[in-house]
Amino acid sequence: MLAYFRKTTSAAPLAVFRLLFGLMLFGSIVRFWSKGWIAELYIQPRYFFPFYGFEFVRPLGQYTYLLFAICALSALFVAIGLFYRVAVTSLFLSFTYIELIDKSTYLNHYYFTSMVCLLLIFLPAHAYFSVDAYRQRRLLAGTIPAWCIDSLKLFVALLYVFAGLAKLNSDWLLSALPLRIWLPAHNDLPVVGFLFNYGWTPYVFSWFGCLYDLSIPFLLWYRPTRLWAYAAVVVFHGLTALLFPIGMFPYIMIVTALIFFSANFHLTIVRKISQLLSIPTTFLLAHRTYRFLPVMAKLTVAVLTLFFAVQFMFPLRYLLYPGELFWTEQGYRFSWRVMLMEKAGYAQFTVKDRSGHQTIVNNASFLTPLQEKMMATQPDMLLQYAHILQQHYARRGFQNPEVYVDSYVALNGRLGKPLIDQNTNLANEQESFKNKAWITQFNDKIYGF
Amino acid sequence: MTHFRWKQIGFACAFVGALWACGGSGGSDSPAPTTPTTPTDQAGSDRKAMLTNMADNIILPSYANFKTKFDLMLAKSNAFTAKPDKATLTDFRQAWVDTYVDWQKIELFDVGPAEQYTLRNFMNIYPANTAGIEEYIASGTGTFEVPASYPKQGFPALDYLINGLGTTDDAILARYTTAADAAKRIAYLNRLTTQMNSVFNTVYSAWNTGYRDTFINCTALNAGCSTSKLVNGYVLNYERFIRSGKFGIPSGAMTNGAISAETVEAFYKKNISLTLAKTAHQASVDFFNGKSVKTGEQGPGFRTYLNSLGAKDSSTGTLLTDIINKQFDAVSQQLNTLKPNLYEEVKTNNTAMVQTFTQMQKIIRMLKVDMTTAMSITITYTDNDGD
Repeated sequence: MLAYFRKTTSAAPLAVFRLLFGLMLFGSIVRFWSKGWIAELYIQPRYFFPFYGFEFVRPLGQYTYLLFAICALSALFVAIGLFYRVAVTSLFLSFTYIELIDKSTYLNHYYFTSMVCLLLIFLPAHAYFSVDAYRQRRLLAGTIPAWCIDSLKLFVALLYVFAGLAKLNSDWLLSALPLRIWLPAHNDLPVVGFLFNYGWTPYVFSWFGCLYDLSIPFLLWYRPTRLWAYAAVVVFHGLTALLFPIGMFPYIMIVTALIFFSANFHLTIVRKISQLLSIPTTFLLAHRTYRFLPVMAKLTVAVLTLFFAVQFMFPLRYLLYPGELFWTEQGYRFSWRVMLMEKAGYAQFTVKDRSGHQTIVNNASFLTPLQEKMMATQPDMLLQYAHILQQHYARRGFQNPEVYVDSYVALNGRLGKPLIDQNTNLANEQESFKNKAWITQFNDKIYGF
Repeated sequence: MTHFRWKQIGFACAFVGALWACGGSGGSDSPAPTTPTTPTDQAGSDRKAMLTNMADNIILPSYANFKTKFDLMLAKSNAFTAKPDKATLTDFRQAWVDTYVDWQKIELFDVGPAEQYTLRNFMNIYPANTAGIEEYIASGTGTFEVPASYPKQGFPALDYLINGLGTTDDAILARYTTAADAAKRIAYLNRLTTQMNSVFNTVYSAWNTGYRDTFINCTALNAGCSTSKLVNGYVLNYERFIRSGKFGIPSGAMTNGAISAETVEAFYKKNISLTLAKTAHQASVDFFNGKSVKTGEQGPGFRTYLNSLGAKDSSTGTLLTDIINKQFDAVSQQLNTLKPNLYEEVKTNNTAMVQTFTQMQKIIRMLKVDMTTAMSITITYTDNDGD
């Protein structure tokens, strides 16, 4: 064990990862900005759905643009390795802050990005091929502790394996759901479209997707299979980019998977870039090994150990809750459950009080279409919205307003049914990590993880 | 060794790039081969066949039928304004009823030009704003293009002007002949019909000069393409303009029993409100089932599409389309229990009105959740009326 922590490896893979990841994030933010999503998602909505425990995270109005600018600039600084520690910390904080503003925009790959940024704070990704090292040659190091790169690989492997385990369920494997619903939507694609009219196609996709997730980290790790595995990464994520509206995620994963490649591969990249930018080759020859201060080394290992302990357990927290995970979504987020459900819903709220006030709520006057769509199928958001309504109508003269919801949710092609007990006054219920007893029984069984 | 790798990676990238390029070209701008107008032998999941049947056998003939009635109404309106008397008024009223009924058969096509030009806003926003109409008449001017002007035009405004100005025909005719502002009133009536004609013809000619091909060739399921827009417009129409507009709001079902009988459709004519509602409901049912307006036969539509996707209740195996059609029937039967004058029904038999709303509510859930989720379509519309 101790011997492992003394092992060193080339710093090039981490440096290339830093460069590509930073550029990718910078590009994502520019894309996000140019599509007008900052205003649409973080400025225009009247209400927001913060995460439990992070209610202090509020939208910043017009300053949200500043927040994104800081985030984009930090990403650029991380990419070139300038003021690295400050930049990556600022990137982590600004990016995470943005993602915590509203649950409606939650995506697993945003969470992945946040967590990678967090990891990068502790890793010496600026030791090689960075502006910092160029300006301060005593920082320049050609080798770094092996665990620095292995921790990134481990994190990526965790993501894939958990994503694969989540697919080991009867809906995914035995009914090919939800792909059976989603794929026919693309039957008008040229060349391959006709395939999506066959009943077996979604099964092929489902099983391939599951096996892919479960095996790809190992195939990438193992040198003889690496190249083919990477080809599979490119094809798989390319296909998902083609078929599903999942934005930057496929590209981020395609770039991230490069971390598994050898030092020579990354040194080649570094050399090519250097040639392009006329960087002196002496800068590329660094024989020093990056050394943490003894106290920092211990601290970093402790932090990473804690990080991975949490990462191992967090996706399994759903086991602590009764009921069907896909239905209640208690412990669903932050668990690498990607594209597992086709869930649609409809929620009509009634607010009333003892003195005879009563009204049916028009959700559109409170929420954006995206927020309404997300709220209608996710119990914790239904509860948050109920509290928004409670406060709104209390200001409008209702005395101790009671909030009831008539909900109707369809999961993976099953007929819709109420998700929330109609007789529960949601104004009285509080958010917590405890089981939400007012979520209805699923009355069906999905076997597996 | 490294060069070899670069090559392979380049190859893989090229492969994905090719896939990507293929995906990019799928959509509205693929060339449009001539398609048979009654595609009976195609698979139910062929959206182009579905859209073609909808365009050629339902939407275009419905628009054409409406146009025939509408043009007649315009002629009768002109006859009336040229010479307001009992005969021309009676003719105009009858033509107005016939056209208003046919309007219910095209209001649901809230897609393409009708959506772009917001046809409904210029045709059927009620209750009519009578004070606003009188202001416009008095001033002899006023825009028809802003939201506040929508209830001052279209069929509801005509309803007020030919049925609501007096308790007897003589009293109404006097407003067009002997009243001080008779000339202004006639001028307003002419402005009104000219405006309706202009907006409708914009939509109608767009469908007949290219939009039909755009419509049937935009086969992707994303929010910008025909199927998604069609479904959104269709569900929106049933939810907001059939369920809420015709029943929910007048009966008070949506507002804690605060009854507002005067908000029924065709309030001044009164005895056609049920006919209008039934027609609108039946048009939605027929459209769901892909029923041809020309032949009355069912063709590719939401029903065949959902069936081809295998949408069913997994616990009983019943087809979703059977469940939806059964609920459509329940609504039809409920409508049959009502009397022709929904204003009177709200006043005397409101329980039945609320029951109709409740039955329609069940349809909305099925259309909005079960149907869209099975089709993998997202509901993107928002309600924009105040709470």
